[in-house]
Amino acid sequence: MNLERIKPHFPWLTLLALALLVGIANPSFLVPSSLLSLVADIVPLFIMALGMTFAIYIGGIDLSVQQLANMVTVIATVYLAQFGASVAVICILAGLLFGAVSGYVTNRLYVPSFVSTLAMGFIALSVAKYLSGQRALYMDATLRDANFGWMFGNTAGVPHELVIAVFLLALAWFLQKKTTFGRALKAIGSGEPAAVASGLNVVRVKVLAFAVSGAFAAIAGLMFSVKLSGGDANLANGFLLLAIVAVLVGGTPLTGGVGGVINTAVGTLIVMVIRAAMVYVEISATQQQMIFGVVLIIAIALTIDRSKMQIVK
Amino acid sequence: MYGLRKVEKYFPGVHALRRVDFHVNRGEIVGLVGENGAGKSTLMKVIYGAYQPDAGGIFIDDKEVRFQNPRQAMENGIGMVFQEQSLIPNLTVMENIFLGYERQFVNFGVINWNAFAEAAKKQLAKVKLDIDPATITSELSFAQRQLVDLAKVLTIEDRIEGDLVILLDEPTSVLAREEVELLFGLVRGLTKRASFIFVSHRIDEVLDLSDRIYVMKDGAIVDVVNHDEVNVDSIQHKMVGREIDTEYYREQKQKPYNASEVLLSFDNVSLGTRYKDISFELHPGEVLCLVGTEGSGREAILRTVFGLEAPDSGTVTIKNEQVWHFTAEGGVWRGVGYVPRERKIEGIVGGMNVYENMTLSQMQNFSRAGTLLESNEKAFAREWIERLGIKTPSENKDCGGLSGGNQQKVVLAKWRSGGSDIILLDHPTRGLDIGAKEDVYEMIREMCDAGVGILLVADTLEEAIGLSHTILVIKDGEFQKRFDGTPGSKPSLYDLLHHMI
Repeated sequence: MNLERIKPHFPWLTLLALALLVGIANPSFLVPSSLLSLVADIVPLFIMALGMTFAIYIGGIDLSVQQLANMVTVIATVYLAQFGASVAVICILAGLLFGAVSGYVTNRLYVPSFVSTLAMGFIALSVAKYLSGQRALYMDATLRDANFGWMFGNTAGVPHELVIAVFLLALAWFLQKKTTFGRALKAIGSGEPAAVASGLNVVRVKVLAFAVSGAFAAIAGLMFSVKLSGGDANLANGFLLLAIVAVLVGGTPLTGGVGGVINTAVGTLIVMVIRAAMVYVEISATQQQMIFGVVLIIAIALTIDRSKMQIVK
Repeated sequence: MYGLRKVEKYFPGVHALRRVDFHVNRGEIVGLVGENGAGKSTLMKVIYGAYQPDAGGIFIDDKEVRFQNPRQAMENGIGMVFQEQSLIPNLTVMENIFLGYERQFVNFGVINWNAFAEAAKKQLAKVKLDIDPATITSELSFAQRQLVDLAKVLTIEDRIEGDLVILLDEPTSVLAREEVELLFGLVRGLTKRASFIFVSHRIDEVLDLSDRIYVMKDGAIVDVVNHDEVNVDSIQHKMVGREIDTEYYREQKQKPYNASEVLLSFDNVSLGTRYKDISFELHPGEVLCLVGTEGSGREAILRTVFGLEAPDSGTVTIKNEQVWHFTAEGGVWRGVGYVPRERKIEGIVGGMNVYENMTLSQMQNFSRAGTLLESNEKAFAREWIERLGIKTPSENKDCGGLSGGNQQKVVLAKWRSGGSDIILLDHPTRGLDIGAKEDVYEMIREMCDAGVGILLVADTLEEAIGLSHTILVIKDGEFQKRFDGTPGSKPSLYDLLHHMI
């Protein structure tokens, strides 16, 4: 057994070890019902991380997801009364559109994705502030329950959020693993010049990857908005760092090509366990970001494929 | 004074230097010639410290030395003037000359620019260049930058005791005739202070300048001749080595092509500075080889056919339809397959397995409504693994882990299986061992029999001659001469070399 062969198994081994550690220190952590509610709690973040996985899988990154989710909370709240449940379609289309524009800017105007998505994020933030008039908005409770009440609740002890998460994970996995789109993503992440020389329409695939990321961020925003029953340009703040951590800790390196959405599921659970542990040892919310920042750096350093990088700037 | 003794260098799968003995005397200009891939650049890298020999030793004045990096070599008096130039374009000339050695002009953290400029002027005088040392480097002409690069290397003599050896890597490749004369005059004048190693593919220039010439072939020094005993023909002969082996290139299997049909035609096609007014026709069953030196435009022509480059003018016609939009996607659709030179970068996707690589260009044939039919892919890959004798434990093996020859077969399988009938081969045998090369030659003949037209940029001239029906010689992007390659009346190496350089 050498390190290269164990490496793909690192994420779930880490998850297992951390969960056991926290479980030993605090046995109530491992009680199924409390675990389930912890997992259900982290679903919006997971959905955002799922989308982000597509951007990172091709060797890019999407820094706009948090602001897209913010924008969507506002869109959902503002237009719920007017459009009812079909506001979800508007939200997802908005996410797709923003993601596609990021992808276009990155691939046609040659702006690195971390800058293009950062910029698109600010545009989304602006839209959110404009639409909300810079106020926190609240959803009408009856309308909310009538249209999106199904998102939350329990059936036979299983939280509905979890069902949604599993469904979206299956969808993302299918996209990544079973479609020509997913195969093209892998080729681009592993060796883009060869993908170009095989006649793939690399630009189109990359634009789509960012669009998918945007759409998932929008779904995350919608869920969050329904959950908190309102919309605000700052509602989803704090998600971005955690989403990136979830993808990278899961084992999809910034250089792309390996890992994928299943890894992100594991990564999100690791984030959840770390968060639970921090609550248990009473690390305050302000300090949690610091811990995640450090975890992020460690995760990047451990996973990145240095043979693909010549220069770091 | 400076010498290598029995130096060996290995890379994975390649024996790059074989028992190389090499020495330079004080004040001598030594020439080094050889074909692409003969080992010249590896040898140079060993000399200036970028590579360490795996066996044998480096000696300066009979004392063994070992360089961990180019800087250590420099401290021992060995400097290199790079072909692609090592100057940083947006710095001034003086900053470039003393790059990494500015300390001498610094007092209390502040640079004394006057002393800096003064010292730079002194260095520039050595190469007889009268320019303001504060000029931004990018404003200079190419020839001037070359001299600045030389001046930079000559600063070594102020820093060390003892003798200087300066390597010149293809310094004349983009210089005009009179600039070359100027450079040569300068080098001759500088032999009082330094010895030179001059590497070039222009044999006439090497002969002109050098006191002694080393001829390399397949990683070994095959001959050393003195300036006075030089015979161009014999050097060329030794550079190229053995007689052309007709069996090796499967010449007996070379059949006449179908001249009545045209697969691909270029009509006065030009692309920027890469190539100009190129015209040719490719027929089914024909191997058409583009011959020229590095940078003569051969690759750009291949990339245009595939769709990766769009020409500025002229008409490209593929299967009787003029091409308007140049995209790789369109190229694949028109039945063009591209086997790139950089096999590991552009040929295969490392990290993807054999079947994923084989179907990458033709996923539409293995999917329904965007959903992949993996069992079809695998069965198909197994068939082609069998057919081409690809050595892999299974179709699920990561392509990056296969040997070069088998990777190349995967790339060829990708295009052949997809029905491509115009195949572009760029150095298809580069870095392959003899057996794998023969497999590739065999496949080329089989493709011709199946009516495929092949546009080839060969790894060596022998290969070009051995494989081709038609040879076009290209120099500096311009067509020079067409040779017929029918077995029995194939052109000789010297015919080609004469038009290439």
